[in-house]
Amino acid sequence: MICDECGVNTATIKLMTISGGEKTERHLCTQCMRRLRGQFGVVDLSSLAGILSGLLQQAAKQLSPEEAEAAADLCCEGCGQSYEAFRESGFLGCAQCYQAFREPLTTLLKRVQGHAQHCGRIPGRKTDDVSLRLSLSRMRQQLNRAIAQEEYEEAARLRDQIRALTAQLESREAGQSAPDAAVSPQSALQEGGDAREQ
Amino acid sequence: MPVNNEDITRRAPEQDVVVFSRVRLARNYADTPFSPKMEAEQAGQMIQRVREVIAQGPEAEQYQCLLMRELSEAQRNQLVEHHLISYDLLKYADWSATFISSGETVSVMVNEEDHLRIQGMLRGLQLERAAELAFHMEERLSVQEEFAFDAQWGYLTSCPTNTGTGMRACAVVHLPALSASEQINPLAQAAARLGMTVRGLYGEGSDAKSHHLYMISNQVTLGRSEEDIIRSLIVTTQQIAASERAARTRMMSDQGATMLDRLMRTLGIVKYARIMRLDEMLPRLSDARLAAALGLLDYPLTGLDNLICDLQDGSLSARAGREMASVELNALRADILRDAFRDVEP
Repeated sequence: MICDECGVNTATIKLMTISGGEKTERHLCTQCMRRLRGQFGVVDLSSLAGILSGLLQQAAKQLSPEEAEAAADLCCEGCGQSYEAFRESGFLGCAQCYQAFREPLTTLLKRVQGHAQHCGRIPGRKTDDVSLRLSLSRMRQQLNRAIAQEEYEEAARLRDQIRALTAQLESREAGQSAPDAAVSPQSALQEGGDAREQ
Repeated sequence: MPVNNEDITRRAPEQDVVVFSRVRLARNYADTPFSPKMEAEQAGQMIQRVREVIAQGPEAEQYQCLLMRELSEAQRNQLVEHHLISYDLLKYADWSATFISSGETVSVMVNEEDHLRIQGMLRGLQLERAAELAFHMEERLSVQEEFAFDAQWGYLTSCPTNTGTGMRACAVVHLPALSASEQINPLAQAAARLGMTVRGLYGEGSDAKSHHLYMISNQVTLGRSEEDIIRSLIVTTQQIAASERAARTRMMSDQGATMLDRLMRTLGIVKYARIMRLDEMLPRLSDARLAAALGLLDYPLTGLDNLICDLQDGSLSARAGREMASVELNALRADILRDAFRDVEP
């Protein structure tokens, strides 16, 4: 098919525009598409911020007039960003913006993410536990497989590693340092990794 | 550019369907405004901060730092084509940088939408290990300075759609058989119920029907723990991989002769073509990958996955050391393909 715009090149892109309820379809080549893209304000779907800014505008319409007014006046003391500017760009300016816009953000994130409460890793705790837990879950699967295949030596080795890592995880969660007798997490991870590749 | 010394004949777990696994963590330091509000000086300090942390590590020499402003257009695209940086990093090319490990398994993007995007990437289905790599680096980067965190919102990110775990985990899968039997949409709907999104690999503008590469990733970052997300993604990916294998078996038993004809014609084309456009190469290499996965073609999957990245426009130009016109690119692409498949017989 030939490009509808230049009538020379082969069309490789189908451009559908909906304007005032009327749908038009055009077949374009890449050069014409690139040129046209500059002309109309195409929403940049490659960035989540583009989508988000659309969602934000939708969400704002659903606020009551009082709520909308209250949100529009919000401004972050940390970086000076207004809620209005966030609605335009989809980006917050600094960590403090989350405090300043907590209320409208709660409504928004519930809608976008389905939740408004973090559940997962917390910094400052003696970390490494996400990696540890993931390694544990991996080793437990390997253990099941080893047992199913009657590889008992391998199973015993995995069982010991799992015990050591579990002890380490428990002691970390209790806020203590790992017991000396335990396998170091790195060496256990390494061995676990090797075992899986065999 | 990064050097990769891996043994391409070694098969990664579930590599017949799963191309690679990647885990990306978005992190911001509490003491600096988010990237869109940052001053040039702060951006420079951010790169310096990461450089120092990496320099103190045991594997410091394995990392190289690439400042985006010092790279040519082709070199930048090469990094995107190899999935080592996001396209968004280039939006801030004056300020942004990336640190890449020698095996290309870990990379740290600095001054993208967030101060840091830390990624672990491995071939095949190895999400847990990819996560371990990313978290290991993340822990090192948080020793000196604190990350922005809130008890309600989790890790704070410049765009609130990433807040919470700040984690995007993904598996890139090759689904030629499911795609041929129009199963992608129902599959995407099923994945959505598990909180996962399925989309074509090369973004909105690309036609995934030519290369059949899809990315499965977590939809939300808030309200689910990292382990929960990773486990769900593994289960979803394993189920999709199993459906793809079943569809391949069905395809070979129902239309074996037609399939074999198509795959062998592809081999003929890549062995002899003199001009190869990118949009022709992708379906050819998709066919070759399917043939190799089915044991009809003796070619390592890793080698084919490398070709898919290495033969894109940016990577070819970067390899030649200059910007090339499309006529030249198409000829060079055909040359490299012919060379790669010269001794390959079915």
